[in-house]
Amino acid sequence: MNTAVEMATATATATASPAVTVALAFSAVLFGIGLVGFLVRRNMILMFLCTELMLQAAAIAFIAFGRMRMDLGGQVFVIFILTVAAAEAALALGLVVLLYRRRETLSAESWQELHE
Amino acid sequence: MENTTHAFPPRAMPSSEALASAPLLPWYVAVAIAAAGLMTVLKAGRDSVRRGGAVVALGGFGLLMVQALKLTRAGSGDLTTPFLVAFAAIGTIGAVRVITHPRPVFAALYFILTVLAAAAIFLVLAAEFLAFALIIVYAGAILITYMFVLMLAHQSPEDEIGRIGAEDYDRVPREPMVAVLLGFFLVAALGSVIERVPTLTREAAAIGPREAAFERAEALQRMPQQLLAQARLQDAEAVALAADDRGRVSFMQGETLQVRIRTNAGEIRVVTVDPAASVDNVQLVGLDLVARYPASLELAGVILLMAMFGAVVLARRQIELGEDERRKAAGMAGMVLDLPENERGGA
Repeated sequence: MNTAVEMATATATATASPAVTVALAFSAVLFGIGLVGFLVRRNMILMFLCTELMLQAAAIAFIAFGRMRMDLGGQVFVIFILTVAAAEAALALGLVVLLYRRRETLSAESWQELHE
Repeated sequence: MENTTHAFPPRAMPSSEALASAPLLPWYVAVAIAAAGLMTVLKAGRDSVRRGGAVVALGGFGLLMVQALKLTRAGSGDLTTPFLVAFAAIGTIGAVRVITHPRPVFAALYFILTVLAAAAIFLVLAAEFLAFALIIVYAGAILITYMFVLMLAHQSPEDEIGRIGAEDYDRVPREPMVAVLLGFFLVAALGSVIERVPTLTREAAAIGPREAAFERAEALQRMPQQLLAQARLQDAEAVALAADDRGRVSFMQGETLQVRIRTNAGEIRVVTVDPAASVDNVQLVGLDLVARYPASLELAGVILLMAMFGAVVLARRQIELGEDERRKAAGMAGMVLDLPENERGGA
C-alpha cells in the first residue's frame, strides 16, 4: 500500500476489525462458489445445496455488518434466513422427489422440455 | 484483463502511486488466480492436474485474504486472526468440494464442514446464539433432510467389477468455464465493497459503541430480576429496586447504567452497572426479535406454515399416485371403472 495514502487516512484512524474483513471476504468467496456450483452442477438436489451455500454467504455478511455497526438487526435477520432456508429445503426436496419418481433420474437436463 | 487497463496510466506516475490509484488491482489478481485454480479443478481431467489446480486455488484464496486485510487496513489484529483465516480456508475447501465432488452424499457432508466453519466465524463475531442455531438448524436439520432425499433418490451405479461409481451428471460439470468466469467476476466486484469497510467502520465508530451500550441498557431495564441481580453484584446489601418519584429505577450516564436500590435498612442507594457485561447475546437477540421485529416474526411463522402445507400436499399426491400404480400393477381395474360383476358386458 502507498505510504502517502496511509498517512492521509491515519488521521481519521478507525482501523477495521480483521474479523469483519475476513468474514466479508469469506462471504464473497462463498457466494461466488455457490453461484459457480449452481451453474456447474447437474444434479437437482446439489443445485439446491448450492443455493444454500449462497444463503450461508449472505448470513455471514449480515453478521459481519451487524458486528461492525454494533446492531443486532443483522443477527435477527439471519434467523429469518434460517427460516427461509428450512422452508425452501422442505418444498424443494418434496418437488425433487416427485420429479425423481417420474423419470428415475436426478439430472436437471432430463426436464428440458416441459410439455406434459 | 486488468493489466491492459492499467498498463498505460494517464500520467507518468511513480509505480506506488499508480498502485494506489488502483488499490483493487491485487485483489483482482488474487481472484483471477483462485478462479484459474477452481477451473482446473472443475474440468474433468487427471487427478494430478486437479490436485495442482486445488493448490493454485488455495494459494489464490490465501492471497485474497491477505489482500482483504491490506485493503481495509485491518492489520494483523490479535491472535484470533490466523484462526479466522484458517476457518475461512476450511469453509472454502468444503464449499469447493461441494461443487466438485462426484458423489452427492459426500458433497452434502462437505457442506456440513462449511457450516461448521461459518459457525466458528459467527462465534468470533460475537453471535453466539446464531453460531449454535446454525449448527442445529443447518447441519442438524436441513442437511439431514438433504442427505435423506439424496439417499432415497440416488442409487450409485456399480461398474462391472462392483466398484461404486458416480452418475455422468454428477461427474461432468456443465459449462465450467462460463460459470467460473461469472462467479469470479462477482467476487472481483465485491472487492469494492470490502474496500469501503474502513469508511463504513469510521461511520459506525461515530455512533456504534454508545448505541450498543444504550441498546444493552434498554434490554437490561426490561428485565428487573436481572437488573437487581447485577446491582447486587455491585452492592451486596441490595434487596429491591427502588423507583424515584418519576417511577424510574435506572438511568443512563455515559455508557454506564445507574440503578437505584433499597437496602434492608430501607436506605436508598445508587450503584453503577456496566450494561455491556451484564446482558448476553441470547437475551439481546431474543428481545430484538420479539420487541423490534414482531411483524417479521409472524411472517416467518406464516412462511414455515405454508412450507409445511406445501410439503403435505406434495407428499399426499405422491402416495395416491403410488396406490393407483400398485392397483394397475396387480391387474385390478381402477377405482372409478370398477363395475359390479353382473353389469359386465356379455354375462
